[in-house]
Amino acid sequence: MVAILGVGTTRFTQKLERTIVSLGVEAARGALSDAGLAPARIDGAFVANALGGMLFGDTTIGQTLLRDVGLRRLPVVNVENACTSGSSALWLAWNAVHAGQMEAALVLGVERMCVPSLGLINSGRTEIDTLLGLVTPASFALRAQRHMHEFGTTREQMAAVVEKSRRHGALNPNALFQRAETVADVLAGPAVADPLTRSECCPIADGASAIVIGSDRLARELGAGVRIDSVVLASGGYENPADLARWDTDSETAAAAYARAGIGPDDLDLVECHDAFSIAEILHCEALGLCAPGEGGPLAASGATALGGRIPVNVSGGLLSRGHPVAATGVAQIAEIAAHLRGTAGARQVEGAKVGLAQCMGGDLAGDTKSCTVAILSR
Amino acid sequence: MSGDTLPPFAEGIFTGDGALTKLVGSRCALCGAQHFPARTHCPDDMTETETVSLGSSGTLYSATVIRTKPPFGLPAPYAVGYVDLDAHPLRIFMLLDPAHTEDFRIGMPLDLRSGLLGVGLGGEPCIRPYFTPALKD
Repeated sequence: MVAILGVGTTRFTQKLERTIVSLGVEAARGALSDAGLAPARIDGAFVANALGGMLFGDTTIGQTLLRDVGLRRLPVVNVENACTSGSSALWLAWNAVHAGQMEAALVLGVERMCVPSLGLINSGRTEIDTLLGLVTPASFALRAQRHMHEFGTTREQMAAVVEKSRRHGALNPNALFQRAETVADVLAGPAVADPLTRSECCPIADGASAIVIGSDRLARELGAGVRIDSVVLASGGYENPADLARWDTDSETAAAAYARAGIGPDDLDLVECHDAFSIAEILHCEALGLCAPGEGGPLAASGATALGGRIPVNVSGGLLSRGHPVAATGVAQIAEIAAHLRGTAGARQVEGAKVGLAQCMGGDLAGDTKSCTVAILSR
Repeated sequence: MSGDTLPPFAEGIFTGDGALTKLVGSRCALCGAQHFPARTHCPDDMTETETVSLGSSGTLYSATVIRTKPPFGLPAPYAVGYVDLDAHPLRIFMLLDPAHTEDFRIGMPLDLRSGLLGVGLGGEPCIRPYFTPALKD
């Protein structure tokens, strides 16, 4: 068994003029303090940062910032895996603890990306699709068009994902967006890639999130009650022709995580998924089995995925409202689920939550994702 | 739009110019699987491939118009899509004709063209392929 011993998350913001190191140190200190563990008891650290090398020429920042939290002379692994960088770091740490290699491990995701030189995210500057004009919002716009064509999904249903997200974000003091936005507001916004408007695309942000995980024995010593039952990391299948309305890599990764945890979608009390775009949440709800294939649009519009509904999705505000500091996101999702299972989620608490799932996805290749993770937590 | 003196945006993606443009792919000598862009070895069985022409016609599977600041000097706005090739079991990502940006609908027949379209990685004008609505017979 692998337990969550502590969590720490900075505010996600576009205004901070802080360094990667200062963000990472704040989150790491928070998680260590929450766990009640001295740095000397951490056996290894997995530090995710996706863009520091590209934007600032900063590499192997894990060791740099861990020195400032007293973590020295231990295995440190720096992780880059696009938007799943943080959840891939968790996968590595979970396996190390599960295998008995480490009693306690720190997982940290940190990103600073709110700089003018960022531009639109693509999936590799020299890839042929990129050179032919593919940018990440277009990948999801193409999925949205196909979903609308095959299932009759509407722009209003997609905008309902954003309206719900904003309501949730207003309940999360760490979220970037704290303001309401109606379906009409969303649809009236500037177009990015048809049919997606700016509000349907997640905002960039700076931020960091950290968790300390550890063994069964350590969990008993510290009185930690939240377990990570399974973490699955998968790359894409890249089949041609790719089906843009049904995401096999997504559903297969989820199925593997459910099987290893011995549960199914009906057992979940809440979900954090990779809602990088409005249509993404709809696709992920279908892949995770929260509704039938093609029913994600009506599910979003029904209110079932809002706080108080049948299966609350992204009560943190998700990527759409919490903001998306790329490598921090995958760790922040885990911290969010853990807060609900511990009953410390404040105004957005999912009452009585016992089982939660976090799904994350990153990169884009041949109409598929490069990386997908699904983790299942329980208490 | 003559491309006689301008370089292609990348090597090995297409041949010919104007209405004679054809896509270049590969076929596995062992399993027969086809690929675009061409690969030297089949990703399924590591066998060497042969180069094949993938023709110049297809059917639109999905399309979008991108209305943010375009990369690589592409027009604003510009359209892109996934296209099912008529004679080959492949669905490929491709630019769509800037002269018809607002006209693309899922299911419509398309023909391949190429011409001066944007700039390359080094900022130099270059030739890119794109699909355009097929002329009615």
